[in-house]
Amino acid sequence: MLAKSLRDNRRALAWWTIGISAFMAVYLSVFATVRQEPETYGTMAMNKFPGPLRDLMGGLTDFVSGAGYLQSVVYQLFVPMLFIVCATLLANRAIAQPEESGTLELVVTLPVDRRRLVLERFAALALALLAVAVVTLAVAWTISVAVDMGVPFDRILAAHTGVYLLGLLFGTVALTVGAATGRKMVASAVVGVWVVAGYVVVTIGRSVDAIAWLKWVSPFHYYADGRPLYEGLPVGDYLVLLGATAVLALTAVLAFDRRDVGV
Amino acid sequence: MTAVVQAEGLTKYYGRRRGLEDLTLDIQPGEIFGYLGPNGAGKTTTLRLLLDVIRPTRGLVRVLGGDPREPGVRSRIGYLPGELALEGRERAGEYLRFLGRIRGGVPASRIDELAERFEADLSVQMRKLSKGNKQKIGLIQAFMHEPEFLILDEPTGGLDPLVQQEFLALLREVRKSGRTVLMSSHVLAEVENVSDRVGIVRDGRLVAVEDVAALREKAVRRIELHFDAPVPAADFQGLPGVRDLRVEGAGVRCTIDGRPDALIKAAARHTVVHIVSAEPDLEEIFLTYYSDEEQHSARQESA
Repeated sequence: MLAKSLRDNRRALAWWTIGISAFMAVYLSVFATVRQEPETYGTMAMNKFPGPLRDLMGGLTDFVSGAGYLQSVVYQLFVPMLFIVCATLLANRAIAQPEESGTLELVVTLPVDRRRLVLERFAALALALLAVAVVTLAVAWTISVAVDMGVPFDRILAAHTGVYLLGLLFGTVALTVGAATGRKMVASAVVGVWVVAGYVVVTIGRSVDAIAWLKWVSPFHYYADGRPLYEGLPVGDYLVLLGATAVLALTAVLAFDRRDVGV
Repeated sequence: MTAVVQAEGLTKYYGRRRGLEDLTLDIQPGEIFGYLGPNGAGKTTTLRLLLDVIRPTRGLVRVLGGDPREPGVRSRIGYLPGELALEGRERAGEYLRFLGRIRGGVPASRIDELAERFEADLSVQMRKLSKGNKQKIGLIQAFMHEPEFLILDEPTGGLDPLVQQEFLALLREVRKSGRTVLMSSHVLAEVENVSDRVGIVRDGRLVAVEDVAALREKAVRRIELHFDAPVPAADFQGLPGVRDLRVEGAGVRCTIDGRPDALIKAAARHTVVHIVSAEPDLEEIFLTYYSDEEQHSARQESA
């Protein structure tokens, strides 16, 4: 069952890995130019984005150092978002999409316990994302060495682990909503709203007192606020992401086990 | 012997919409049971309840002596969904082998043998299969692990006549080996030749369960008798089971319910030159059930 899910997704996985790697390759290779003219690019980056937008990009205060550049263009917004979208699409293929297309009906009549079915599909999601994460980590590390960024491997590993956990968490949100409702659109919408709101809260919203407390329910808080690229692995924060994922996965199992399929 | 299907007061509501109401039914081992009704009557709801795809609102259901929630029970069932969805780039043969593995192993020779009988091409990607070819793959996966109990939802839909014949032959083999089949259809003609019993479901309720043999006996039969000379109408009036009598000179036309015995004995007093008897049309009986039910509910509404 697990192997089959992975096999069915191999084409999508390959394309996502290539896509994310290509994105990083293009942006990171520009770093050589940025470093040659730090003033120009530093101010350019500051001027290009007006205040709130700059907040949205993580501040952009440090655009020209290796770690700063890496954080701004790779780990702040774009690569986490790519991972989240990839995870959501993969997660939808676990329950909601096959339920809507009707292929799940035969699968639930197979001699496999429903709880095991959901767990295996969750495991397939975790492994598939891990594969994308491992390959893209290798690419990120290789390029950062090639353009001489001066960021140690353990920091890149720490940031990349965070991206993986963040993607897995939102993927599991999609899986759980899909397992509970059987609706792909509902699952994607929940992820979309939570991602946008969660991201805004920890960037622009951080200076607005009225909503600042909401950061505790934003997964991005546990990813970026520990500044993994600067300060290494934020163990506590990552354990929160992992714990939330486990709770969601368990919810998915229980929700799917008590539900009518395909009605 | 435990019944293959035991349902007691089985009821399913989808929110407030009724799917199935108070179904009580036993299906015995070795039986082929035809489950009839128009679209939306509750056939698929019943079959899905037997496979734990959906859960009953009320009532009890046991399949092969156990709860269909148990994977072990489901491994002994072969199921063909009413709307079989097969998609993706995966080849049909690969998918069948995967299903076989999950069900505890099906020899490749068995899959090939069935594919040959149905003339199914297993090397085609599933998304490229036509409706009829999908149905063939569906039948292969339902039969391939030689399950004790087959649940087939509209099995002949989309099949060409030759493949339908092959399917009916396969059903007879299944019956010969003492296994049990529950198949749904909205056309009686499709199931009457292979079924031992038929159940008729309408608006979520099982309105009748009949032996096919008994149903035939009940069949309304049209009979025409021709005599060598005009016959008195009085000789044929008031015979048991004779309806719609028309006597015109030397010809007598009527329909009979059940046995033609009385009519034949009355006719025997004259010289019969020609007799026409149409095969009983079970479809007609089926419709009679329905119109009775309709009149019944109409009476209730007007009361």
